Order: sequence, then C-alpha cells, then structure tokens
Amino acid sequence: MVLALSVLIFLLLRLAPGDPIDAYINPSVPLSPQDLEALRLRLSLDQPLPIQYLGWLRAALSGDFGYSIQRSGVAVLPLVLGRVGPTVLLMGTGLAIAIVVGIAGGIVSAVRRNAGPDISLSVLSFVGISSPAFLTALLGLYFFSVLLRWAPSGGMQTPGTPFSVFDVLTHLILPACLLSIGHAAMIMRYMRSSLLEVLGQDYVRTARAKGVREFWVIMKHATRNALLPVITLIGSTIGIAVGGAIFLESVFNWPGMGLLLVNAVGTRDYPVIMGATLVVGACVILVNLLTDIAYAFVDPRVRVS
Amino acid sequence: MALTTSMGEGVPRTKGPLRRAFGRFIANRAARAGLVILIPILLAVSTYHLWWPIGPNAIDLRAMNKGPSTAHWLGSDGVGRDVMARVLQGGRISLIVAVGSVAISTVIGFLVGAIASFGGRVVDSTVMRLVDLAMTSPPVIFLLVLASIAGTGIMPTILVISLLSWPVLSRMVRARLMELRERDFVVAARGMGARMPHLLLRHGLPNSIDILVVYATLQIANAILLEAGLSFLGLGIPPPEASWGNMLNLARSTIVLEQYPWQWMFPGAALVLTVLAINFIGDGLRDAFDPRSDLN
Amino acid sequence: MGISRTARRLALAGLLIAGTAFATVAEAQSGKTITGGFDVGPGGLPKNFNPLVSTAGFTWLSTYFEPLVVWNAELTELKGSLAKDWKVSDDQLTYTFNLAKETWHDGKPFTSKDVKFTFDLARNKASGSLFAARLGDIQSVETPDDRTVVIKLSKPNGSFLAVITQVLILPEHALAGIAPEQLANSKWWSTTPVGTGPFKFKQYVTDQYVELSADDDYRGGKPKVDTLINRYFENPAAAVAALRAGEIQFTYVESDDAATFKNDSNFTLIEGGSYVVNYIGLNQKVDLFKDLKVRQAIMYAIDRNAIVESLYGGAAKVANCGYVAPHLVPEGLEPYAYDPEKAKALLAEAGWDKINGDKPITLLTYYGSPQAANVMAAIQSMLAQVGVNIVPRVVDTPTYNGIVYKQGTPDWNAFPMIYAGLQNGPNPAGLNPGLNKSQLPPAGFNTMRIEFDDLSAAFDAALGQTDPAKVNASWQDVCKAMNKDLPWATLWVANRYGVASKKLKDFVWTPAPAGGPYAAHPELWDIQ
Repeated sequence: MVLALSVLIFLLLRLAPGDPIDAYINPSVPLSPQDLEALRLRLSLDQPLPIQYLGWLRAALSGDFGYSIQRSGVAVLPLVLGRVGPTVLLMGTGLAIAIVVGIAGGIVSAVRRNAGPDISLSVLSFVGISSPAFLTALLGLYFFSVLLRWAPSGGMQTPGTPFSVFDVLTHLILPACLLSIGHAAMIMRYMRSSLLEVLGQDYVRTARAKGVREFWVIMKHATRNALLPVITLIGSTIGIAVGGAIFLESVFNWPGMGLLLVNAVGTRDYPVIMGATLVVGACVILVNLLTDIAYAFVDPRVRVS
Repeated sequence: MALTTSMGEGVPRTKGPLRRAFGRFIANRAARAGLVILIPILLAVSTYHLWWPIGPNAIDLRAMNKGPSTAHWLGSDGVGRDVMARVLQGGRISLIVAVGSVAISTVIGFLVGAIASFGGRVVDSTVMRLVDLAMTSPPVIFLLVLASIAGTGIMPTILVISLLSWPVLSRMVRARLMELRERDFVVAARGMGARMPHLLLRHGLPNSIDILVVYATLQIANAILLEAGLSFLGLGIPPPEASWGNMLNLARSTIVLEQYPWQWMFPGAALVLTVLAINFIGDGLRDAFDPRSDLN
Repeated sequence: MGISRTARRLALAGLLIAGTAFATVAEAQSGKTITGGFDVGPGGLPKNFNPLVSTAGFTWLSTYFEPLVVWNAELTELKGSLAKDWKVSDDQLTYTFNLAKETWHDGKPFTSKDVKFTFDLARNKASGSLFAARLGDIQSVETPDDRTVVIKLSKPNGSFLAVITQVLILPEHALAGIAPEQLANSKWWSTTPVGTGPFKFKQYVTDQYVELSADDDYRGGKPKVDTLINRYFENPAAAVAALRAGEIQFTYVESDDAATFKNDSNFTLIEGGSYVVNYIGLNQKVDLFKDLKVRQAIMYAIDRNAIVESLYGGAAKVANCGYVAPHLVPEGLEPYAYDPEKAKALLAEAGWDKINGDKPITLLTYYGSPQAANVMAAIQSMLAQVGVNIVPRVVDTPTYNGIVYKQGTPDWNAFPMIYAGLQNGPNPAGLNPGLNKSQLPPAGFNTMRIEFDDLSAAFDAALGQTDPAKVNASWQDVCKAMNKDLPWATLWVANRYGVASKKLKDFVWTPAPAGGPYAAHPELWDIQ
C-alpha cells in the first residue's frame, strides 16, 4: 500500500508544473540558465521518470531519503520525523479537548433533548461545523495574541530560550483550543444522536426498571454503547489528523507536518514530499489498526469473537 | 416504483417511504430553518445581476476601502469594488464550484461503489484496493499535489474537490449494495443476461438513492468550506474573480481585519450561513430517510 | 446544559490565564536580544544558509558571513568590508584587494587563501554554485601575500564589483575537507558555520529560528546586543502579527500593512526603493504586440499615476523606461500620460479589431499579494475601457517559471502578457538579461523574446563602457531606447517597507534587492 502510494505521489508530483529549480528562481533576479541547468543535472532531474523513481526507491529502501532541496544540508528523514512530534502534540491536545467537550456536550444534549440546553448546544455545534477552520484561526490569533496578548502569535517555543514545557504549553494552548472547535462540534453531533438511539433500547429500559439511578443508567449503560460510532469517527479523524492541520499550522506557524507539506509542495521539494508521504501513510495505517483495537476494547461483542 | 419494491419489506404500505420521508423532513424544525435561510440566498446569488446596479469587477479608485453606505450597501474593497456585488458573485462561484464538484464526485462515487458490488469478486477487490489507496493517502498531500497540478480557477477547483471526496461515498454505496448482490431479483436479472448498465440503473440507483441525496447535500456544505480553504492557501479561485474563500483571504492582513471589517465579515457571514443552512437540510434529510428515526 | 457551558468557559479562561503566566516566565531572558523576521519578504530566503546557492537572503547571511565589498546602506556606492580597500587597473582588468585583519569565529586567522578558496568554489559548478556564469570573466585569482588578493578578468566587466558583493567569503580550513559535490548537502551550513561577521552562529532550530551570539572580538567593535534571532514566518501577515504582539522587533511588511504603522508611536516605518521595475511584458512570439502602436496604446490606456496614488499610496515612482533613478533617466522622454482616447485611436490605426478584437488575453503573473490582485484588477478594467480584454492569471512562482522559462519551445499562448518585475539597480545592468537579444533563451532570460536592434545595441554599448565618466550617459541611451520602442509597458518602481520597534537603536535596514548585502553594521544595533 505504501509502495503504491509512493508511485502515485511520485507521478502526480512530476505532473505538477514547475520543478524544484523553477521554485528556486526569483523571477525578478534572473540567474544564468546554464547555472540552473547544472543544478538540474546535479539533482538528476534530467533523467527519465522510471529511473528517477527507481533511484529514489533504492536509496529509500536502504534508509536514505535524500536531502531537502530548499534547505541547506538538512536530510529528509530527520526533518520529517521531527514534524511528527509537534503535529501529534497539537492534534492530540486539540482532539483531547474536543473529545471531552464533545462527549460531555453530546450527553447533555441527548439527556435534555429538545430543551433549552440541547437547542443551544446543537446550534453551537452546527455553527462550529459550518465555520471554516482558517477563519476561526485568524480571528482567534487576532483577538488572543495581537489584541489581548494572552498567548504567543505562533511558533512552538520562544526563540532564544532554552526548551521548557511551560513555554511549549503557552504556544500550544491557543491553536489547540481553536483546533478543537470543529472536532468538538462533530463529536457532539455524533454523540447526541448515538446516545438518543441507545436510550430508546430495551436494556436501558431494563436498567431503569431495575431501579438503577438515572445518572448511572446514562453514564454506565448507555454512554458506553453510544461511544462506538463516536470512536469510529475519532479514529478516522486521527487518521486524517496525522497529515497535520494545514490551516491552523499555517496561521500559527506551528512546525508540524501540514506546514512542512504546504511548504514542500509550494517549493516542489520532491524528496521532502516523498518522505512525508511515506511517514504519514505509515502513520495512517497504524492509526487505523489502533482504532480497531480501541473498538474491541469498548465493544464487548468484538472482544469475545 | 422500484423503490417501494426494494424497501417494502415490513413497512406498511399506506404511504410510500418517499412521502413518509418528506413528511419527516418537513416536520424537522432545523431543516425548515435551513430552507428558510438557503432559498433567499440562492435567489439573491443567482439573480443579483438583474437587480443590483454595480458589477463585481467594476473598480472605483476614488471609493477605496469605504464602509457601508447607500451607494455601497456592504462597503467597498481595496480597489473600490462593491463588496455587495462581490459577495453575491462570490457566492455564485462558490456554489457553482460546490454543486459541480459534488455532482462529479457523486457520479464517480456511485459508479465505483456499484461496479465494485455488482462486478464480481475480482473487480470488487481491485476497485476497493484503489479506494483504500485514495483514502489512506494523506488528504493534505493529495489536496496540495492535485491542486498544484490542476492549477487555479473554477474548473480545476471543481476537479480537485470532486477527486478528493468520492471514495467515502463509494464505500457507503458498496456497503449498501453488497447486501443486494445475492438477493433473488438481482440474481434473476443477471441470469437473464442483464448487463451492467441495467443493473446499475434499475437496481443500484434506486437502492442507494437515499445515501446519494444525503451525501450530496452534506458534501455541498463541505465543498464550500473546501473551496474557501483552497482559496485561502492560494490554490482555489484566484482573484480578481470573486469567491467567498478568496474574499476571506483578505482577513490575513491585519489592516483589513481591523480597519475594513466589512470586507471579510460579509463574505464570512454569507459563507457560514449558507453552510449552516445546508447542514441543517442535510441532517434533516438523513433523519427523514432513516426509518428508525420515527422511534425516537 | 448551562453548567457544562459555564464550565467550559471557565476551563478555557483558566487555561488562557495559565498561559499568560507562562508567557511572562518565558520572557525572562539573559542579556540583550534582538529578534526579527529578517528573511520575510522578497529579500529573504528562509532555511537557506549556503551563500553559494543563495538567490536572496543576504541581509541575514551577512550578519555572520561577509563579502569583500558591500553596498552602503543607501545602495548608492560600494564600500570595503573584508577588503579594506581596492584598486582597479586602468584597463579595468585587474582588481587588487587589500584585506582587513580579522579572525574567523573559531579563532583561526582570515587570509587571502580563504578568498581564493571561496572564489574557486563559487566558479566551480560542481559545488552547485549559482555564481559560476556570473564570475565567468575571472581569469585568475592570485594571492601575492596573506593580506592581498589580485583578481584578473578576461574582459572589462562594469558589474564585477556589484556581483562580488554577494560572494560571501568562506573559511578554507573548515570546508576544504568537503568535496564540492557534497558541499550543498553538508550539515556544516546549518550546524557549525564559521564566518567573520559581527555575530557568530549559535543554533538553528529547524524551520523555526536561527540564533546568533555576539562575536566579542569583531574588528568593528564588540556588538551591543548579545543575541540576534531570525524567526521564520510563512507569510508577511504572520510576521506582522508577531510584531504587533511584541514578540519580534523587526520585519518586512507589505505596503498595505505599512499604512497601519505610519502613525503608530511604538514603531518606526522604514521605506526604501525596491529597485525592481514592474512591467507588463508583451510576448513578441504571439501576433498581438508586434505593432508599436498597440504597445503605445497599452501605455496610454493605463492610468499609472492614479494606480500609484491610490493603490500604492503614492509610494511608487512611475517608470517611463526601465529606470527611475535620476542619473539614469534622460530629459525628453515621452511620459505616456493617461489618454484613453489616444489609446483607442492608436488601436484603431493598428487594426486591433483584426489583430485580436475582444478575445481574452491571459496576463500571467507570480505576484500573489492582495495588493497585486488589486493592481491587476485596476489594469484589467482600464484596458477593458479601450477594448483590450485581459484576464489575469495568478500562479505560484514554480508554475510561472515552469511556463515562462520552459526549455525548448514554450507555449507562447500561455503567456502572451506577463505582469512581472525585474531588478534595475543598484546595478543598472540588471535589466540586460531580460531585454537584450543576445540573451534569448537558452543563453539568457529574455523570455518575452524581445529582439529590438537599437535597444540591444544600447545595452551592449553600456555594458562595454570602460570610461567611468560616460557610464551614466550610456545607460541613459538604454532608457531612451526603451521609452521609444516599448519592449515592455513599463509601470513603476514601488517602495518597500520594513517596520522596526521604537525600542531598537541604530538599527539599519533597507529593502535591498535579494537582501543586499549592504553595510547594515549589526554590531551597532542596540535595544532598550
């Protein structure tokens, strides 16, 4: 699968207009075409495509993913792997907030169905789903960083200071909160409808009839089962999330996978795009596996079989 | 009707399922609200050139960055273009892109899903491999690479969005039609030598129409958001053509964000309202098509 | 339920308050630090540390590497940097440089051998150097002693000194061990580079920022601040947000944003000419613009003064040839004042109806800023009024170059018109590659395939001018030929802006093309 993916992306890349050298030319400061040609030769961009691909594959199989074309002396593998951490941190925090808020909101919404809290939460969640991520990111940045100065405007740490967890947290909190909005809204919708369905089922009625307190009925019997579709949703979200949140990362300069890719595609940095594709593809497959395991953990029927 | 025969099991025959679904849809408050919001927007966007005097690309260097006034209801932008006209034209473009891309992706998604389920085991596994490939390839990469190949503009944007969104639908269609494959009437049709087009149109389509309608509606909302996002990254609809996405892109500049809020607030509000309304409608349709929703 | 919502709000508020507390802790740094977005904007080239392959970014690179000679901060004349002074022989073929006394950041002495090493490397294509062709006139680099370098040229080259401002001198002792082929991928550039400048490399946090620390024994005096940080931003808007949030003290800003800082007492707005002339290129390989009358009509149809006044806020100079610097512009140029009626008449005379009529013509550009979009909207609407129907098409730089600089035979109809810019100073020869018929691809960058004999002759004469007293007059002839033959519809030279916090003292920055290098004297920069 990963191999097929690499062929696909390789071919697609070569179809895109402009190559890494074209990305390097500043049209207002012309360089000599001969010098640029020499650069193309050095990067083997003049070779036929299959040979270029096989060359890349052979090197990649031996663990050599080459060097970023647009950076001085930066190897692709450490560069790409270095982006996994920040992306996982941002997406993880954002999703964690979203899961807590979304599930809590969904439960409240379902329990108070069609009452005031449900309606306001539902409207809020619909607005959350319907707002473009980059707009909330821009507005959040403007209000909390530029106007109120509560949080830094971007990056992952304060330049020039030694690494500290506090420092990273201050940079993390705003983008993570903004990121969670859309996901929380989605989870809330799913949780609400799934819980509503479960609440109508026989075993819930049985539990109520046994005299179990309503709170426990909801928390223990209903919620657990209602979580199943939500977990599938979260799983697929995580799969997508490894690719990074392009909009948030680019508005907040967060050094994650999404930003790396946006840049690499913008500068046609072929080795970086290929390396990132492989790493992200492998992560997606891994996450899908983990989702299946989580599913088994929550759903007793799967565990038995 | 083909629909009744296939969905008929266990459902009382007093009312057709379509009519029952329609009844449920109309009874849904949110869906009604969605229609009430969406219809005027659609009307305004599609007819504005008949009643609004200023064109979306008419510049006026003497009226740059002016706030809302009687001449420019929603103010003017950085070259003195009328924001009202641009919001409406932008809406037209955004909706054309959304509807166009959803139409294409629905057709591809349905065909792929249906062919996979009717085509036999070999076809099925090859096709589904492809779908898996399209789904595991990180959307970010796919999106960016596709967009840089296709270039910018209305047609390329439609293409990129539709290529990105069909795999989900084809999975849903396949899941629905797989149950059908071994059922008597399909086996019989096949035995009588029915060809693929016949199977697709007479059996596949009627049995997945509800999925298609719900998918198409919700996907239009997504496509509008995607177009805005692509334009924000500079990959969607390039200026001077107006689209909600590229108008919102202006908010990147702090001076526009702060001092000329009408330049981004109005397209932003129009976008959120439209997407919201479509989501309401889509949600209503989903509930309406779901026979279980009567139980709640 | 209400409780949950309140709780959510409380939690959010709590997190944000905690965040503020952390931010205050993080700000406590030791020593004086200047943080800026030095690679933001067209003069920057973030993530690149190898001066041999740099097409821009010299503002930052020259804080720790230095060239032999640099422009002064006004970009009007050259000054010594690592060369204390220099002599040029009367035949313009021999350049003798006297080197300053300086040590590399690792303590080794800087000598003429380093200069020779650097020039040899820069002329060696195997190193990936982008200077090989530009330094092609060098015959030999000799080092009579440790403090003297003699460079001999094979033919006089008026731009030689301007070119070598960008050849930053590299340490032989650190790089001689790396094969030229391996040099571009070497880790040295981003981990342990050693220069001679006022600051020395401390660390690079990949794709986020570069940190330099003061070189205490710099020959120009100990730098006033201890740390200099260059933060990377994805776009100027993000840098502006950081500037306004007080996180950085300097960045380049787009001219739209510059207006916000004009009356802000916390910031100083720095304005300077861009030395890039904007023009509409008219492809001579399509049948649209062969007639001079059509080209004149385009000039008359665009109200350049109105665009400069309204869209640039007056901060651009209308260009009637490729130059706007007073010493390069002769008297008596045709000003092509806005006259749509005359434009219509000229088009009618040229038979525009038959040439093209109102069929759409693509105007290709790589300028993606909101301001450029506004400019093109204005040009589109002005040309539409005289019956020329253009459709702007904005693409990213690689796509643009992929179309326009395509080898072999490009698709002419993909770029009948371009909206572009070309460097026209401080060295006026910058326009030659785009306009001289000797520079047709693949030899050069004359992508619009302009083959005008008078203009090419004027360029050749100016480039070959060995008499310093006549140089300006020769370039004025180039200007005259451009104004008469209109190879391009020249538009204007806009100003560019930087914004510095009022906390900075003695800070020098100018929007030099490719970032300079110019004498910025970072050792004198201070912060309150």
